[in-house]
Amino acid sequence: MPEVALAVSTPRIAAIEYPLGRTLGQPGDAAGQLAVLRAILTALESIQTPGGIVHLPFEWPDLLGDKFGEPPSPPPIVGYILRHPWQVTRLLNRDVPE
Amino acid sequence: MPEPTTYHRCGAILSENMEKTVDSYRFISGITRRMLRTWVGMEHPRPIPWTPLRKPLKDCRVALLSSAGIALKTDKPFDQDGERRNPWWGDPSYRILPKSATSANVNLYHLHIDPRPAQQDLNCLFPLARLLELEQMGEIGAATERHYSIMGYILKPEQLLQETVPAIIRDLRADQADVVVLVPA
Repeated sequence: MPEVALAVSTPRIAAIEYPLGRTLGQPGDAAGQLAVLRAILTALESIQTPGGIVHLPFEWPDLLGDKFGEPPSPPPIVGYILRHPWQVTRLLNRDVPE
Repeated sequence: MPEPTTYHRCGAILSENMEKTVDSYRFISGITRRMLRTWVGMEHPRPIPWTPLRKPLKDCRVALLSSAGIALKTDKPFDQDGERRNPWWGDPSYRILPKSATSANVNLYHLHIDPRPAQQDLNCLFPLARLLELEQMGEIGAATERHYSIMGYILKPEQLLQETVPAIIRDLRADQADVVVLVPA
């Protein structure tokens, strides 16, 4: 998520359009994972200015049944917000209760 | 009982469009997408830390840092019950992983991602075996002996920033790491 990384002043960013939980590629795909890791390290050498970003040219395949990294059950905060919908404003404002 | 998901072995596909611009939110939906977009808009520009790369990659010692909540099965799990009791809280501690870690000897403790692909093959989010291959091929100097994981769901990052991050930096200096690859999960 390069937009998030840029917003928090990450020194060098190798952006990839892969789902969370599989940021390097599919399980068992050693060649694909190696290509991505090599591209990340190449970006490290090529980026010469603070905040530099390289958009890696990999495409995630659309596969039937792929949930794109969604957890098996919703995270606790999602259940909490569904039960307390008025608290969504606090979440969006990053106003975390003590 | 839902159908188990099958993760196809497909290989990385290079885009036809070499000028590809990555869509940050393609695989993010619902409240998480709304939250991240709002939070990005709340950040103000600040100085970007910068350390030049002082030697060629083939001479660098490289470490990995993941936010996937990875811990050795013999180590203390990240505290998921604490998050279940208080969904605004996430465990801000970190774990050390040896370079020999595989999906057979670690667990993932992260309630916001699907841990199953990495439980099959840790390298799909923590590419230790791939890093060791680059070492064997002479493309990096070495993989460090130790690698690191935090659990990335931290809404209040004070303890993470004030205690965990300085401790990881101390460890990375002791490991003589030249390069750290932060792998978001």
